[in-house]
Amino acid sequence: MAGSSNAFATTGRSRKGEPLVWLTAIGLTLGVMLTLGLLGLVVVKGFQTFWPNRLMVLEVKTGDGLRKLAGYETQERSRRDFDGTVHDEVQIFRGNEEINGETFVYFDVADIVSSEQPDDLLLIERLSGGNAIGRAKALELKDEGTLDADEPGFRDRLATLIDTAEDRRENLRTIEKTKIGRNAKRVKELTLERKLIEEGKVKGSIEAIDAELESLQADFVKLDAERTRIRERLEADALVVESADGREITILAMDLLHVFRANEAGFFGRVGEMFRRIWTFLSSDPRNANMDGGVYPAIFGTVVMTLVMSIFVTPFGVIAAIYLREYAKQGPLVRAVRISVNNLAGVPSIVFGVFGLAFFIYFVGGVVDDVFFPNSVEPVYKSGGILWASLTLALLTVPVVIVATEEALAAVPRGVREAALACGASKWQAIQRVVLPASLPGILTGVILAMARGAGEVAPLMLVGVVKSAPDLPFDSAAPFIHPERQFMHLGFHIYDLGFQSPDSEAAKPMVFATTLLLIAIVVVMNLAAIILRNRLRKKYATSSF
Amino acid sequence: MSLKPPTEPDPRRFEVSKGTLFLDRAMTQLIRVGGLMVILAVFGIFFFCRKELLPRCPGSEGEAGGLLETPGGAARVLGVDEWGEKPFLYRGGAEVVFIDIESGEREVVPVPSLEEVEVTAASYDPVHHRVAVGLADGRVGSFVVSYGTEFDEEGGRKIIPSVEAEPWFEVGVGEGPVKSLSYGDGGSNRVFVVAREQGVAVLRLGQKRALIGKPKLTLLGTDDLSDDVAADVVAVVASQNGQAVLVSGDDGKVRYFLERGGSLELTQTFEPFEGEPPVRMDYLFGGVSVAMTGDGGGQKIFSLFRPEGSSERLFGETKAFPPVGEGTPVFATSLRNKSFLTGAGGRLSVRHLTSGATRWEGEAEFEPVAVTIDGKTEHFFIAGEQGQVQRFELDDPHPEAGWRAFFGKVWYEGGEGPVFQWQSTGGSDDFEPKLSLIPLIIGSLKGTFYALLFSVPVALLAAVFSASFLPQDMKRVVKPAMEIMASLPSVVLGFLAGIWLAPIIEDKMPSILLVCLSLPVSALLIGTIWCRRPIQVRRWLEGGREWIVMLPVVAVVSWAAWSLGPVLEKLVFVYQDPTSGREIADFRLWWPQATGLSFDQRNCVVVGFMMGFAVIPVIFTIAEDSLSNVPKTLTAAAAALGASRWQVVRTIIIPVASPGIFSALMIGFGRAVGETMIMVMATGNTPVTEWNIFSGMRTLSANIAVELPEAAPGSTHYRTLFLGALVLFVLTFTLNSVAEVLRQRLREKNKLV
Repeated sequence: MAGSSNAFATTGRSRKGEPLVWLTAIGLTLGVMLTLGLLGLVVVKGFQTFWPNRLMVLEVKTGDGLRKLAGYETQERSRRDFDGTVHDEVQIFRGNEEINGETFVYFDVADIVSSEQPDDLLLIERLSGGNAIGRAKALELKDEGTLDADEPGFRDRLATLIDTAEDRRENLRTIEKTKIGRNAKRVKELTLERKLIEEGKVKGSIEAIDAELESLQADFVKLDAERTRIRERLEADALVVESADGREITILAMDLLHVFRANEAGFFGRVGEMFRRIWTFLSSDPRNANMDGGVYPAIFGTVVMTLVMSIFVTPFGVIAAIYLREYAKQGPLVRAVRISVNNLAGVPSIVFGVFGLAFFIYFVGGVVDDVFFPNSVEPVYKSGGILWASLTLALLTVPVVIVATEEALAAVPRGVREAALACGASKWQAIQRVVLPASLPGILTGVILAMARGAGEVAPLMLVGVVKSAPDLPFDSAAPFIHPERQFMHLGFHIYDLGFQSPDSEAAKPMVFATTLLLIAIVVVMNLAAIILRNRLRKKYATSSF
Repeated sequence: MSLKPPTEPDPRRFEVSKGTLFLDRAMTQLIRVGGLMVILAVFGIFFFCRKELLPRCPGSEGEAGGLLETPGGAARVLGVDEWGEKPFLYRGGAEVVFIDIESGEREVVPVPSLEEVEVTAASYDPVHHRVAVGLADGRVGSFVVSYGTEFDEEGGRKIIPSVEAEPWFEVGVGEGPVKSLSYGDGGSNRVFVVAREQGVAVLRLGQKRALIGKPKLTLLGTDDLSDDVAADVVAVVASQNGQAVLVSGDDGKVRYFLERGGSLELTQTFEPFEGEPPVRMDYLFGGVSVAMTGDGGGQKIFSLFRPEGSSERLFGETKAFPPVGEGTPVFATSLRNKSFLTGAGGRLSVRHLTSGATRWEGEAEFEPVAVTIDGKTEHFFIAGEQGQVQRFELDDPHPEAGWRAFFGKVWYEGGEGPVFQWQSTGGSDDFEPKLSLIPLIIGSLKGTFYALLFSVPVALLAAVFSASFLPQDMKRVVKPAMEIMASLPSVVLGFLAGIWLAPIIEDKMPSILLVCLSLPVSALLIGTIWCRRPIQVRRWLEGGREWIVMLPVVAVVSWAAWSLGPVLEKLVFVYQDPTSGREIADFRLWWPQATGLSFDQRNCVVVGFMMGFAVIPVIFTIAEDSLSNVPKTLTAAAAALGASRWQVVRTIIIPVASPGIFSALMIGFGRAVGETMIMVMATGNTPVTEWNIFSGMRTLSANIAVELPEAAPGSTHYRTLFLGALVLFVLTFTLNSVAEVLRQRLREKNKLV
């Protein structure tokens, strides 16, 4: 007896099963660590792609003697061959695609003889062919002759050359895309009209059309001449660069985007360069088979699609929820409907994609095409587009909004509702002035959750209109300004496409990690917003009800 | 001071404003209609999928057209053009009769080379529209019917038939008139197999390139098969590539001759029907299978495949069909798919090789003596004893489909036996689509199983801890963290799984095994040690702070186990090179040697781990919810009776919340089954039917995502993918509904307590 009471004094409550409590603790620890670890991994890998590395000149032993190359280290790994030998390897980005072929290469650490970081190495971003790395040798200017790199004023001249090239490219883009594009579109329209008149389907004057066609042709010749002039000007000047192994690369002004002296720059210079890269990533079009440049069209596509989706999903979801909660007679049927709506949120997204393809594109799109575009050769709405994608996702996310709104409506205390009715409000007035405002944060939470889900969903989009490269955005300056039938780019699909469909997956990796970081950031921020909103809502009603 | 009498209140004061009333009614209607519409639209998905899928899939229809009389005797050969508009009859004379099926007009085209000869046998090759004829004097020859098309000014199509004769060849073997014959045209390789009254021979023909004009057909050689066929010949058939012939004798045996080194040699003898010879043998589209029709009407399909242990392809029975009927059998094969038309004594049926199904069955108005199918397999024709010709419309857009093809084992052409296989597209026109959904379903279940294997323990342990031990203020941080985990886009998880995780796991499998083993062991160990400490020490952590202690523990233990992985590999997973006998410690090599199973980089370990991110939060949230809703009165009572905190959990909380936990598992299962992007990116996408953890798979969802954008709308392939989507839908919807009902019941039960 004494012994047991003694044990109680020293150990407190019964300890039975205490190890198992610790076992359950590890479950929670793992869950939290996995989440944080994954987010951390994406953040680190994502920012690594923006952080400018120091450029190095390496001497490497290879099968045919010593080789010199310049580049920066992107990765270290330890590889095991099937014969059991282990190799520590570094991955080097060496650029200069036209002379090197493969731009990412692995070297055995043991084979690297020497490495140094000379100050005068340049990292040059180009419009085509990826980045170049080398020493500046000279500027070959058409009007001023050759300017050697060691002459004074070389750096300023290079900077102005890049600036003027940028302006000219902008100019060229306007001519090519906007002016010539508009011209070609009009020609196409007129030709179709002319054909219809000839066939006697539409009345009109062929002469007037011919006259307009002729003037369009004259315009086109002028525009084409202008285009050729700018192009020639852009191709006249060039920067000559010497690679680490002494070969010369000529980079036309046309291709010259940005020059960065990676080893000269101090810490702040590198931070500045990082922000410049982030900005370029967010704001420019993709280049080089999506592997360089930015993801602006994908951001645009994702945002527009999500917004259009929420425009559809919010009113319908809220109306359905109000009906279910406030108007429908509560009974087994409504309960069944509620359970089913809840369950639709758990139906695989690909099923919604299949439905979107069959119903929206082939059925509705087919009808729209037959009625409004009987003369079009290519399908207009009977192919994937941003409208159909938004509608599909709206269908996918409508259960989320319905469930969240219902919950928010149910959370409004009965007393508030009854007070409104007692004051003489009609049912709708009570809903409109009291219930809806009170449940607004909850509804908003639902909409944000739906948007976050929609923004991150890829599988259904693959069936209903997302593409790897869409030259035209769904909004532009060409009438009718909004083009809901156009295909679009999407951040999530960009990740899939770059990571798994690109010809050089090593070269695409940095870009994929950057895109991943962006997508995760968008989704996580949206979710956090929803969580915070919901917590506020809870607090508000936690005080009003008891 | 006088008081004004109070004015009577305006009775309208108490009326509700018309505007308000109107608005109220309008909104009521709007919300009723709108709400119902949305709900209907959402459920419309299910019905639309069903509608897209079902009406066409199971059956096919045949419809008889008008009867056309062409007096002049029975047809020996019936053929037709690609569009099914102008069939022709050949009766064995010196003319071919073309019939315009629309107008009924007849056009007789003479064949001059057939004048003044006596035709005793004829056969027809629908691919080349060639009629081969054998004469009473033992000669054989052929003519080709060709259909030219002309377009008139209104764009109408006019078919102009013509006949072109080909040279005669002497059969130097045997005696008597030609009994039966067959012509196999493989372009440069051609054979004539001829059975005469006595003797059977094969004529090998070749094309000689002439300087001017068409290449000339010459006889390369004659092979006498009479010695090999020691019986009276019943039927002969030559293969479509001109390299093989089949001869059936009245001893019931079929002999298969294959060209080897310039002559045909007996390769195989088999007996399709015991004792009774096949009276018809016909190659099916693709030239791999032969339909044997017996005297009693039995029908069997023999296909060429490599039996186990054999180096050459031989015939073997792959399918048996029900009897075609009593009487002389007729047969025609489709030129578009593996369907064929057969029948006897007035009964007709359209059958399909792959599924082994009878697609259509019907009675003809007369007994057909010859049948044929047009190029698009949209019509078939029958000709009768008196020269009647009748066209049938055949509406069978999806002959390959059928429940047996989707869910049963099917013996495909060239295979060693019946298998479940998914291979929807192939390189050639005569490719046989393999549309079994079983490998995909197995793939889905396999991926789900391994995903749950990892995520269920983690999620349930976390849920138990969070619901039973975690203080309220920490819950407010932990639960949102889990929700963030749920919101991670699956494309990101898939990408990380395929590009980042797969190479690591491939290399570090022993380390991962060690980590998985050491983590729970270390937790139990620490718990055991900790609970031996006196209460003064334990107080610091009691009350749900254990998981924070575990953070560094998990990190250290994982790191240690990770670095010990190679040691374990050296000790246990040693591969012995069979040629050199060298020993290499490498799990990737050891696994196939030890188990005979493959080791892929993109395997179930990768998938299971990454799917955990998608599944853990789902299971956690729902399980946690039901665990925390266990009434406090119960737990308090247990604690008051002296139960330790674990005893409370084990005896009260978990049993009471078990339906909720079960429904959490089902919803997690549903989520995992339908997950698409992770599966597309991390599984390798090979359809498999085995459960090896180190191989990949192809799931229903990934299959849809990969193949649907390329499938032609309305095609069999497209509808099969729809069926896959429907299977997924029904599966997840049912699971979720059951789970939801369970949860609701539980909630009500707990309310009562």
